Parts: sequence; structure tokens; C-alpha cells
Amino acid sequence: MISIENLNRYFKSGDTSFHVLKDINLEVLEGECVVLRGVSGSGKTTLLSIMAGLDRPSSGKLLVDGESIAKLPDLHISAFRAKKIGIIFQHFNLLEHLSASENVMIPLIPSELNMTEVAQRVKRSLEIANISHKATRPAGRLSGGEKQRVAIARALVADPSVILCDEPTANLDRDNSLKFIDILKDLHNMGKTIIVATHDPLFDNLSFASRIVPMQDGSIVSKEQGVGSSE
Amino acid sequence: MSSKSFLDKPFFGSPFFFFLTLEFFKERKKHIGVVVISLVILFLLSSVLFISSSIRYSIEQTLDKEPDFVVQKIQGGERVNAPAEWIDPLLEIYGINKVTARVYGRYFFKAKRDSFLIVGVDFMDEQSHKTLESIMDETDLKSFLSSDNMLVGEGVSIYLKEHFYPNHYSFLTPKGDFKKINIFKVLPKESNLIANDMIILPMDLAKEVLGMGEDEVTDIALNVPNDDEWDNVADKISAFYYDLRVVTKHDIKKAYENLYNYKGGVFLILFLIAIVTFVLILYQRYAMVYSSERRHIGLLRALGWSIRDVLKLKFFETIIIVIISFIVGVVLAYFYVFVLGAPLLKEIFLGGANMKNSLVLVPVLDFGVLSSIFLIYAVPFIAAVLIPVWKISVTDPKEAML
Repeated sequence: MISIENLNRYFKSGDTSFHVLKDINLEVLEGECVVLRGVSGSGKTTLLSIMAGLDRPSSGKLLVDGESIAKLPDLHISAFRAKKIGIIFQHFNLLEHLSASENVMIPLIPSELNMTEVAQRVKRSLEIANISHKATRPAGRLSGGEKQRVAIARALVADPSVILCDEPTANLDRDNSLKFIDILKDLHNMGKTIIVATHDPLFDNLSFASRIVPMQDGSIVSKEQGVGSSE
Repeated sequence: MSSKSFLDKPFFGSPFFFFLTLEFFKERKKHIGVVVISLVILFLLSSVLFISSSIRYSIEQTLDKEPDFVVQKIQGGERVNAPAEWIDPLLEIYGINKVTARVYGRYFFKAKRDSFLIVGVDFMDEQSHKTLESIMDETDLKSFLSSDNMLVGEGVSIYLKEHFYPNHYSFLTPKGDFKKINIFKVLPKESNLIANDMIILPMDLAKEVLGMGEDEVTDIALNVPNDDEWDNVADKISAFYYDLRVVTKHDIKKAYENLYNYKGGVFLILFLIAIVTFVLILYQRYAMVYSSERRHIGLLRALGWSIRDVLKLKFFETIIIVIISFIVGVVLAYFYVFVLGAPLLKEIFLGGANMKNSLVLVPVLDFGVLSSIFLIYAVPFIAAVLIPVWKISVTDPKEAML
């Protein structure tokens, strides 16, 4: 599903160059749930952004469904993101002036669906994320947990095969974090490939996660761990 | 537009137009300041252009009725009264089809040093008859000529009323006599641009008030139907007398244009103020888009929107603002100029005139000018939005969202 080979990412600031991702090699199979585990600054969010096509690698290979996305032109990479990737951000990134359902429909606007189809998909996604009852509420007036569920619905609405979650529980309390994990389990059962970048210990013992990939200083530090083993 | 309506009663347009209207109405507060300032600028520009187009139109209409040539007598470089005997030789020049002796001059109202334009008209002349037909019918004409009467412009009428002469005025002639003349009619408002301070008198009466001899005229007007012959005819006329000057319609037009351009200078300042304000708005718009839209655009891009999709959304959003501002600004300007009569602004054009002028601005819509305003306004405005949007769109969505 996702294949990464010798991937590097440098950031330049003036004359200084920062080596943020160092020789990353990773394979994620279809339907797998993988947790990228590491402290802040370990490079897991950058890696996730590259997998989502939001950022580009400085060198190395990245294949998603057999297609190299590192050098795709804008129109293709946008279409790739719209169809194959659903992203759940740490800060939810909702447009606060729009309602929950209007936020959820955003990924479908450039598609060729008509409004009836869009409405059907939005309804279904809101149901899966268990937030239908707040569909008309402006995003700015939702609680953190509700916002996160709207973000899940938005990530699902285009029916992507891969769901990328960047620190999804960083702004949630324990109860809401557990609810989020329950939804994630449902998504896994639906056959979605899930990659979670987090430093939240709640993800250490996910029954449905196949692997935990520890990261440190831009590298995958040791052999990947099975779920439940200590770092 | 609530989301409930879109989930339960789907919108029958495309999702793109649904989202466009949604964004536009839900973020209307963000646009309102720009729309209001744009409206003021467009209103000012359109008002100025409506006034100038209307006055230009009126001047052109008036000039069309002017004779092709005016022959004047010159003494010491100044115009003096010409002898009426010059008329006959002019009639003999081939190509000239009409020669008219004209009598006019200024009469100063001593109390205030204001002046009226006295114009003598031969009411029996066919051309004059036609011109005055709309104001006086046959019965009126007989009655008008039966005693000492005058036709006055609206400005003169108001002025005389203010000085307690509602029905007549006694002119002090250069000989020191008083000549009492009754006000027969007030000229229509539509003629105010040229006739506001005008008094029309029968030829003999005008000569008496202006102190001219019976065999004198102010100048002689003539028409030459063939434009190609104008130079030849002018040369022939000039050859008659050494103290003669020929003024063509073109010269008169130039004199009007000079006067017009002088007044236009004041408007130039207004234009400059409007343009400077507009540039400031563009800068503000540019800076605002760059700072406040970054996260929004970055998010749309992260959710699968291409650069083209983002530009399309922002283009339509901007074009709606541009069109609304333009239509409302132009309609308000039209109402202000042609319905309300452009209070304040009109004074800049007509202020400083001899007499208060209640000129009626004839509605004139110059579509060339309107399209120019639209382009001058719309193109930089759209660019001021789309350039920063494009700049943000081409950066990595992750960076734009930070």
C-alpha cells in the first residue's frame, strides 16, 4: 500500500540545513494500522505530511498504491489527496464559521459529484463519526471531542483508502481520546489503512494496531515493536 | 443558508457554487468594509464622469447650433462693433448660404457688479423664428413684439426677483436714460448651460440698451455647408477688410474645451484622491488576503483542492464583490447626478459663474466610460486578491497552514 525507501527530508534556514528525516524505510500494507511513536520533534509529523502529499521528500522513494507521488504535478497530487487520503489533524483545522456538515463537505467540492450525492456522503460520514446530531452547529461552537469527530467525518467523506492521523488525541481528554480510538477501530474494521503519529501512551496497547514504529531525531530508531511491548 | 437545508433539501446547483455562496454569506462581515470603500470610490468616479459627460453633451449640442463662421471687427486687437454694411459683400461669396447680423453684449447690474448677457434677435428672421418656436407661438410673438418685452434665462429671473423686479426691469442705457422692459417669459431650464444669465430682446431694443448705433452689429455669423471650402471662404472673407477677424466653429469649440479643461483640473484632484484611496485599498486587500487567508487556503489544499480550484473559488468570490460594488456605485451615482442634480459636485463645475446656475444635467450614459471604470477598478482589484492567493496556493499546504 505504502512503500518508503531511503527517504530524506532537509529544511533550509539561511545557510543552515536541518536533516529532519534520515533514511526512512517503511512498508505499510493495505488494511494495516501503524502507530508512529515518538516525542515532539522526532520527525513523525513530517513523515506523515510527506505520505499525505502535503510536503515533498528531498530524496528517496515514496510509493502509494504503486504510484510514486513525490514528483507528481499539483493537479495530480491534489487529486491523489482528495481520493486516497483522509487526514485528521492535531488542531482539527475546521473552518469555524461553517457548520459541522459544511466542514465535512469541503473535500467533495472539487469532485464531480452532484449536491444530492454530496449530501448523502456527508450524512453517512457524520453517522460513522457519531456526530450527526451536531450537523448544523457552527464548528466554532463545538467541544474539542466534537470537533475531532467532525474532523474524522471530513477525513472519511471522500471514502479514502488511507487515514492519516497527526497527534489526534493531543487536544482531547481521556474519555474523548478513548472514543476516538473506538471510531478508529471501526475504520480499521472497514478495511481502511490507518497510520497514526502520536506520543500518547493510549496507543501503545491498541488491539487492532499491527505495529508501533518508534521514531527519534528523524530516524526509525530500532526494530519495529509489536503492540503491547515496551519501548 | 443553513446546513440543514443542504442535507435535507439539496441545493440544485453544483457543490462549487453552493460552497461559494456559503462562504460569501457566512463571511460577509469580512467583505463589507471593502465593498463600502469601493462603493464610495466608484460613486465618486461615476458621478464625476456622469456630470462631465452630461455637460460635454450639452456643450456639443449647443455648438452644433453655432454658425460655422463669425466675422468680427478688430481695433487695437480688441473686438469692436462691426458696420452692418459688411453683410452685403459677404453674401456675394460663393459657398456661403446664410449671413446673420448678431447683436449682443453684457449689461452690468450696478448694485452687485453682476452682469447679464443681452442678445438681440431678429424675430422675423426665419432661423430665429424656428429656434424660438418651442418657447413662443404666433400669438405670443405678436404680443411680445407689440411692446418692450424680453425673454430671460432662469438665473436672470431669480436674480431680478431677489432685487424686487419680479415683472420688469429698467435698464440704464449708455445715454443715461432708463428703459423699462417687461419680462415676457422665462427660458426653459434645459437651456441653462448657455442661457442662465441671458436676456433676449428684439434687435432694436438690444441696440438701445447696449448703446449701439442703428447701423452697427456686434458681429456677423455665416454658414458654409461644404466643410472642404472652409479655408477658402475664410481666406476670401479676410481679404475684404484689413480690420476683420474670422472666428470658426472650431475656434469656439477650442475656447469651450479650454474652459472645460480648467474646470476639469478640479476633478483631476478628485480623481487623484480616489485613485490614491483605491491603491491603499488594494494594498490593504493584498496584505489581508496574505495574512488571513493563509490557513484557510492551506487547509483547502490539504483537503485535496488543487491550485486551480482555490483560484477559481477566490476569483468568483472577488468578482461578486466587484460586480456588486460597481452596480450599486454606478446606480447611486446616476441617482445622485440625474435625479438629485448632483448637489455640491455640480458647484465645482459651475461655481464662480456670474450667476447661480440651476443647470439641469441631461442624463447621458457613456458606455465606453463605464466600461473603462469597470476595467480600471476590476482588474487591479481581482489581481490584488488572486496574486496573494496564488502565492499561498503554490506553497506547501503544510507550510501555509502553520
